[in-house]
Amino acid sequence: MAGSANPNMVQSVPDPTSMPRATPYQRASMANMGAMQTYANPAAAAANMMNPYQQQVVDATIRDVGNAAQVGLNQIGAQAQGAGAYGGSRQGIAEAEALKGFNQQALDQVSRLNQQGYQQSINNAYNAAAGLQNTGNQAFAMGNQLQQNQMQQGAMQQQMMQNLINAGKQQFAGYLGQPQQNLNTMLSTVSAQPQLSGQERSFKPGLFNYLQFAAGLA
Amino acid sequence: MAKGGRESTDRTMPQFFETALQQSVGMGQDLAAMPYVGYRGADVAAFSPMQQAVFQNQQDAMNAFGMQGGQGQYMPDPVNTGGALGYSSAPVYDAAMANLEATSPAIPDYISSFGIDPITGEVGSRAPDSQPVALEMQSAGRRGGK
Repeated sequence: MAGSANPNMVQSVPDPTSMPRATPYQRASMANMGAMQTYANPAAAAANMMNPYQQQVVDATIRDVGNAAQVGLNQIGAQAQGAGAYGGSRQGIAEAEALKGFNQQALDQVSRLNQQGYQQSINNAYNAAAGLQNTGNQAFAMGNQLQQNQMQQGAMQQQMMQNLINAGKQQFAGYLGQPQQNLNTMLSTVSAQPQLSGQERSFKPGLFNYLQFAAGLA
Repeated sequence: MAKGGRESTDRTMPQFFETALQQSVGMGQDLAAMPYVGYRGADVAAFSPMQQAVFQNQQDAMNAFGMQGGQGQYMPDPVNTGGALGYSSAPVYDAAMANLEATSPAIPDYISSFGIDPITGEVGSRAPDSQPVALEMQSAGRRGGK
């Protein structure tokens, strides 16, 4: 493109090779601060976002108005000449009024263009700030998602390690409890035997029994 | 029932059954002298490298926004128990025991007297074998472990 370089195009562009070194949160923070700078000082942001071709547009407009003024003056001169009043005072007044109108028209056009340009630059600045915010939010969300995934997988690893420890502790507890288990086995074996206890009846005779026995012999 | 005499009924059991009962009681007596055996390995799985990375990332994230990250080691050093990395409660238990021995030394002595000495194997003064009871059984089980 011909003409001077666009200042908006020569602003620093992040080195792609350095981007991965910045964490998503660093990017989000930087984007957030950039947006805040715009909102804190919109005029400065707008100045940076002014259309570099603004002056060319204004110049072209002034030139167009000037050309139109020249055409108008030529017409006034031709009309005065046709009326045989070329160089007269009425021609001078008409030309002055025409120039005044063209000047006013030029000023109005320039003012309108500058107002449009400034408003556009403000809008562009706000749009850029909003874009930064969105980019920052995306980076923040990506970071959170990555963190979440990593945390879940890390927790899975820890749980597996916990399972391993629990299995080892269970074996150790089993070893320590083995004597008690042996005793339980012994007791359950003993108690499970049916009808192992019996009764032994005995009779010790008394005096009456001996008398009864003697009477039986008689 | 005839008058003047006395009839009695005694419960009896086979000899092998009586022996088994006696052996069981002997085992119970031996077991009653078993001291507390604490587990000294890893109890709680240590944070995995990915979790530690998450912690670091989160701290970095906080720092990126100018906030305090909470850096620093919080958990004790994990122990390696046969390849399993985890945090052990043994140091906490040791500290509690040391505190108890320092403040109430009679209590650990009393509790320990119910079991054998974990180092020498000596039977504690309050273990069943040390009780002043004339046991009817000939043996309370084989002594001496293996």
